[in-house]
Amino acid sequence: MKLKTVIFICLLLLATISVSAQEGTEVVPEADTTEQMPPPAPISMLTATDTDNDNGHSVTLTWEASPDDGQGAGTVMFYEIFRWVPLMRDTVEQVRSELANAEQELDIGDPTGEIKERRNRLRDEYAGLLSRYSDAYGQYPNNGIWKSVGVSPSGDTNFVDKGSKKREAFDYLPDYCDFYYQVFAVTSDDEIRTGSEIFGPVHSYGQLFNTGRIPIFAAVLFFCFMTIYFVQKAKKGADLYVRPLAGIEAVDDAIGRATEMGKPILYVLGLGTASDVATIASFTILGRVAKKVAEYQTALIVPTYDPIVMTVAQEVVKSAYIDAGRPDDFKEDTVHFVTQSQFAYVAAVNGTMLRELPATNVYMGKFFAESLLLAETGAVAGSIQIAGTDEIAQIPFFIVACDYTLIGEELYAASAYLGREPVLLGSLKAQDWAKAAIVILGITGLIAANLGWTYFTDLFQVMN
Amino acid sequence: MKRQIPFALVFIFGAFMIFQYFIPHETSEWVYEFLLDWIIIIGIFALALGIWSLLRVSMDKIKNKKENYVYSYLILFGLFGEIIFGFTAFNGESWGFYIPFVVCALLAIGMVIHTMISTGKRTTFAGLSVLFILLSVLISIFDNSWSFHFSSAEGVQNPMFRSFFDHILIPVLSTMFALLAFFIASAAYRAFRARNLLATLLLVAALIVMMRFNPWVPVIYGDYGAKLSNWLMNVPNLAAQRAIVIGIGLGIVATALKIILGIERGYMGKG
Amino acid sequence: MKKTAIIVTAVVMGLFILSWVLKANAVSATAESNYILRGFLVTIAAFLTLSVLSFLYKDNPFYKFAEHLFVGISAAFWMCLGFWSTIVGNLIPRISEGLSNAFKVPYIGGDWGNVLGIDIMNVVFIFPIIFGVMLIMRLSSNYGWISRWPLALIVGTTAGLNFVRYLQSDFIQQVSSTFVPLLGNNWTGFGDFLSNLSLDASGQLVLILANWVIFIGVFCGLIYFFFSKEHTGAFGKASRVGIWILMITFGASFGYTVMGRISLLVGRITFLFKDWLEIIS
Repeated sequence: MKLKTVIFICLLLLATISVSAQEGTEVVPEADTTEQMPPPAPISMLTATDTDNDNGHSVTLTWEASPDDGQGAGTVMFYEIFRWVPLMRDTVEQVRSELANAEQELDIGDPTGEIKERRNRLRDEYAGLLSRYSDAYGQYPNNGIWKSVGVSPSGDTNFVDKGSKKREAFDYLPDYCDFYYQVFAVTSDDEIRTGSEIFGPVHSYGQLFNTGRIPIFAAVLFFCFMTIYFVQKAKKGADLYVRPLAGIEAVDDAIGRATEMGKPILYVLGLGTASDVATIASFTILGRVAKKVAEYQTALIVPTYDPIVMTVAQEVVKSAYIDAGRPDDFKEDTVHFVTQSQFAYVAAVNGTMLRELPATNVYMGKFFAESLLLAETGAVAGSIQIAGTDEIAQIPFFIVACDYTLIGEELYAASAYLGREPVLLGSLKAQDWAKAAIVILGITGLIAANLGWTYFTDLFQVMN
Repeated sequence: MKRQIPFALVFIFGAFMIFQYFIPHETSEWVYEFLLDWIIIIGIFALALGIWSLLRVSMDKIKNKKENYVYSYLILFGLFGEIIFGFTAFNGESWGFYIPFVVCALLAIGMVIHTMISTGKRTTFAGLSVLFILLSVLISIFDNSWSFHFSSAEGVQNPMFRSFFDHILIPVLSTMFALLAFFIASAAYRAFRARNLLATLLLVAALIVMMRFNPWVPVIYGDYGAKLSNWLMNVPNLAAQRAIVIGIGLGIVATALKIILGIERGYMGKG
Repeated sequence: MKKTAIIVTAVVMGLFILSWVLKANAVSATAESNYILRGFLVTIAAFLTLSVLSFLYKDNPFYKFAEHLFVGISAAFWMCLGFWSTIVGNLIPRISEGLSNAFKVPYIGGDWGNVLGIDIMNVVFIFPIIFGVMLIMRLSSNYGWISRWPLALIVGTTAGLNFVRYLQSDFIQQVSSTFVPLLGNNWTGFGDFLSNLSLDASGQLVLILANWVIFIGVFCGLIYFFFSKEHTGAFGKASRVGIWILMITFGASFGYTVMGRISLLVGRITFLFKDWLEIIS
């Protein structure tokens, strides 16, 4: 009996404690003390202008930030930009989507011709709509809606409404049309926002000159002037010094060595195309080498990677043989195409090196990972190797594996050095003057940067 | 005329590309994009010249029985085999007479080449080429398990085309690349001798950077090795790279200007 | 010698067939249907890998086999790819709607109207075909000179493009990059500088030294590349410093690529031991 009573009292106590604890955690609805957030102050001084230095289809908006930007009761979180667009935009989109579906169905098959007919009808309709789309902008404020074109975070006071130049694109923005804009300052509650005054009309259009690239334009004029000036000076007989380039001086000796040994010379133009400047510089060197080779009646092997390079190289070598007075010695297969695959080309050239055992290997042009493969195989074959490339990553391998290396710019100077033509020497002088200008400008800019003369350093900033 | 017009064309297109850079207008942009597309398309036509050159060199080696001429058959086999695979595809799971067709087609091509280059037995080769061409045509007409595809790229999905790519091209390409591991070691062994100050500088700089990846260096020298290596890569390396880049850039600019102005003419040949 | 060659060839062929059989057997255990073909393909890949590696010893018939096969197949591969991607993918959609339908590629018309009923875009893209045909005229001995015209287009266009592009990237931008703060970004006087001296990587001393090395390195490097002045006197000394910096760079670049090259070999060895011999899992 006593035990039962004790248990009953304990249970009662337990229940009481539980109830009290629940009472302690009971959620009491709070009195509603928050007030409705007031709408923020709108932005001011909204201006829209055509974006500068572009191909059109873009408008730049600027404004003064809302006073509630980052402060005050109605804190602005971002700005939402709206542009008035004609209602027919939705129609254009619908027809475009139907046309895309018809094209897809046509790809699968069209036994009756019905899909093709529908596709052609839709295409005509789409073209017609697009041609009227630009004019529809002139119907403002009728037959249109305000469409959001983007957002700008709080603190920002500008936005670029950039559209596509392609009429069939979703975000096509036609030029020379009346655009109207409105900017809303939006709070954390998306519904609480304030719009600015509507600004417009504004047109977008492409510029005829990119003023952001004036520094480059000045550099173009400077370079052209220097080149023309020194070329003219050289033509008049001025003596222009060129420092010796070990790699190029070795070419004559290397050709002589090949002639004595009765072995061929291997000339590799690299993996560039005929449009790469390094390859064009290599053609000039090839011409000189081929002329010497023709005079000494040594064999020449020129395996090429690119078919257009093969075409040009054949012309260059043939001309060299004609210049040397030995047109009949020229064989078409001296210059031949191998393949346009990097490592297949290298495999073939390596094989040629080990079978033909050329006395001299000349690598001039654009090279990539295969540079070391070529140079090392040539070293194993016992050839004298002369290399020149403008690929910075490959220069260390050529320096390590070849006997002579032309580093970067020396490849471009080689053509002037070999021929000693006044015209080419003159342009080399212009190059050096450009370098001198860089040194002077660099030192001046260095001083300006350290003294805080931003006007000078800003001259070298290229926009767009 | 034969050289004046091309040089005039070089000047016109070169000058246009320079002016185009400063004219952001849409029309200038369209013409720029077209020109770049034109260059790519013209380049493909040049590929025909390249393949013709490869064919001619191989045929010449076979004709004159030059050293290693037998391997030229391999080039022709690889070339024509992959072209056949690239323009044919299966219509279902069955291969039918596809392999016999490929064999007959390759033999036909081989016989035609021999007919062209042989001095004797021409009639025999001509007869055999007709026979194999006939066989190939018959198989292609009557065998429905595969077909030619010139108007769509289904040939690229041909299992034989893919197999040649995956199991011949890729292994050889990767192995050629892997040879660099051996060659870099042999180049380092040969070149890393302190013959003079310049070679010493090259050697020391390379060793410092290479040792960075050695797991024992941090144990012995703490993180000084990594710091020195990082400093080498970020400071003097940056300085020299910038100097080389400026030099190369000026060289390219000068050469490009010489080409446009017609000062550099070697690439156009003579006559 | 010939007898040795025959024996070696026979042994290699025997090993090839043995590998093929064993590999096919191993693949058939995984219930794959084309196990014979699979076995052959893995064996040929391993055989070609070893053939190319044999080049390290010396030139030999196996390397020649692999090389010539590789050249032929790669030339055809790029030709096929070039045809489908450029001719069919780039040219045909722009020259004719009929051809686009025949080749099942989407037609890309222009929106500049028509000339004599032909879309102007079609007319514009006839020109590269004409230039391409002119390029092929190279094969003719009488009319080969016509191939210079398309060449002139290609060379002139890219020369003009490179001229302005490199002027911006390698002239203007590089000049502005040399405007480094020689006394660091937060120079507050010699007193503060001397009291806070440390060799810490982010410390002022290290940063100032780095900027000075960059400044001297760039200018001395540029002086090394002067061609039209003799490298004597102070000019010669600066040029000497320039080549030293260049050699340090080349050494660092060489050292940096060593590990990358070694990893390429690891890939091939993994294929041989894992996919072919199945020694490692």
